[in-house]
Amino acid sequence: KLGHPSELPPEPVPDYEGDEEFLRRVHHVLLEVEVLEGSLQCPDSGRRFPISKGVPNMLLTEDEA
Amino acid sequence: GASGFAPSPQPGMAEAAGEAGLGPAAGREGAELAAVIGATVPTGFEQTAAEEVQEKLGSASRISRDRGKIYFEVPARSLPEVHRLRSVDNLFVVVQEFKDYQFKENKEDALKDLEDLVKKLSWSDPLKVWELNNSLKKKKTKRKKHNLQSPASREKLSDGGEEGGADQNNTNDQEDCAQTPVAVEATGGQDTENPQGVTSRNGVEEEEDNEQSGVKAEVQASSESGTKAGDDQTGEGEAKVLRFRVTCNRAGDKHSFTSNEAARDFGGAVQEHFQWKADMTNFDVEVLLNIHNNEVVVGIALTEESLHRRNITHFGPTTLRSTLAYGMLRLCDPQPTDIIVDPMCGTGAIPIEGAAEWPHCYHIAGDNNPQAVKRAANNICSLLRKNESKDSSTALGVPLDIIQWDICNLPLRTGSVDIVVTDMPFGKRIGSKKKNWDLYPACLMEMGRICTPGTGRAVLLTQDKKCFAKALSRVGHIWRRAQTVWVNVGGLHAAVYLLRRTWERAEERRSFW
Repeated sequence: KLGHPSELPPEPVPDYEGDEEFLRRVHHVLLEVEVLEGSLQCPDSGRRFPISKGVPNMLLTEDEA
Repeated sequence: GASGFAPSPQPGMAEAAGEAGLGPAAGREGAELAAVIGATVPTGFEQTAAEEVQEKLGSASRISRDRGKIYFEVPARSLPEVHRLRSVDNLFVVVQEFKDYQFKENKEDALKDLEDLVKKLSWSDPLKVWELNNSLKKKKTKRKKHNLQSPASREKLSDGGEEGGADQNNTNDQEDCAQTPVAVEATGGQDTENPQGVTSRNGVEEEEDNEQSGVKAEVQASSESGTKAGDDQTGEGEAKVLRFRVTCNRAGDKHSFTSNEAARDFGGAVQEHFQWKADMTNFDVEVLLNIHNNEVVVGIALTEESLHRRNITHFGPTTLRSTLAYGMLRLCDPQPTDIIVDPMCGTGAIPIEGAAEWPHCYHIAGDNNPQAVKRAANNICSLLRKNESKDSSTALGVPLDIIQWDICNLPLRTGSVDIVVTDMPFGKRIGSKKKNWDLYPACLMEMGRICTPGTGRAVLLTQDKKCFAKALSRVGHIWRRAQTVWVNVGGLHAAVYLLRRTWERAEERRSFW
């Protein structure tokens, strides 16, 4: 959930290797978009990891480790 | 002969040389100027460097028995490419190589032979290469550190760069390094025997240096470019008197003389032959006299020692030399689309080198230390800004990301990484409260987990070889040692281990991720 108009489907489409439009969008999100402030959310636990100045902090707390 | 090359006629070479502001660059009778280049590389990575030379310049290299040096031949016009090699620290052009030089047993005779050698060598082609190299340097607006500092700190700079090796070794005379003193004429009576000779000589010379540099300061102030004395007059060649120094590195236990003496006498003969002026700090030509047992190489430096030699002052005391980072990365043979992770990246030397040279791989850097992460992020920004200035439209991204994380709890999926490459910390605590002794196995386990079974590999640099060997023995089911390279990091003996990931799949021990 980047809030970015990249319109990626929730799952890779079948035969995505040949789908150039899809590949372009993935490339854009992976290599051309930089999240400077925000967070990464674990899809299982929901735990959020903050991103500050482009760097995510993924250190666990004492309890989590 | 001076260089065993087979010149091929190249039309248009003279014009190209003319553009560079030189006289005819032809070696002889219209043949193209070739250069035999000597390159110093991190010890242990000679083979790696030779491969890079073959790949980028198409030349085969000879690896010298004097460790940390390779030799190869290229057309002089390839000098810009030579300077772009990533595995070399310093470059010089070879004047002549003697594979089996017979030194006379008597000191006076041995030194006289060296003096007599000067006029027998073919200097003219190597000097042409040196001139060509100078014109390349002028094109870059490189700040010449020597000239912008006071004489006292200039001494200190060359002291730190050159004499460091000498301090350790002078007592047993196995290996030492010295330069020609500033005033060659005055050294006749000086005592050169005592082990402290090198440092005390520098002390004595400081006074003389100050006199000379006083004059030089005026010359520089008036010259617009502010480069070294004499640089602004390169075009007039003949009329100007060049300044030089001789640096001698000597290793072996059968020589009857020290490097001090060799540098002094060789330098004296050079001065007489060329009528150049000896100058320890503000030199145009640095003549190299490398003696390793019976192997003698006379060369002229093409790079400035103090700029490349010890990068310890740039980012921090533990930052890895980029030539070493490059060598480590090459060792793991990165393939396009490989995911390369440095889980203890510090200031990011390895991943930054990786992203620059292997842009078809994806590089991920991480460290638990917030200062390190910040510095690494800044270094990455500098890299991005460098890309920006070249291209006026959008800046190209760099396939590199940095994350703050704990080496023992990496937020990466099992088996998702192709290459792990890192400089293992020594004597430092990391993240958790475990000691190094427990840390190394924990690191190896976690690195083994994220790495792809079978095809994955790791290249790890460590000074704590004992601890590493012990740790490795505990994780034999996931890592196999494939190659060990013995290296020298800031004077300390370290090792680079290439490990291959076994086919055994890692257990999913971490439920958190």
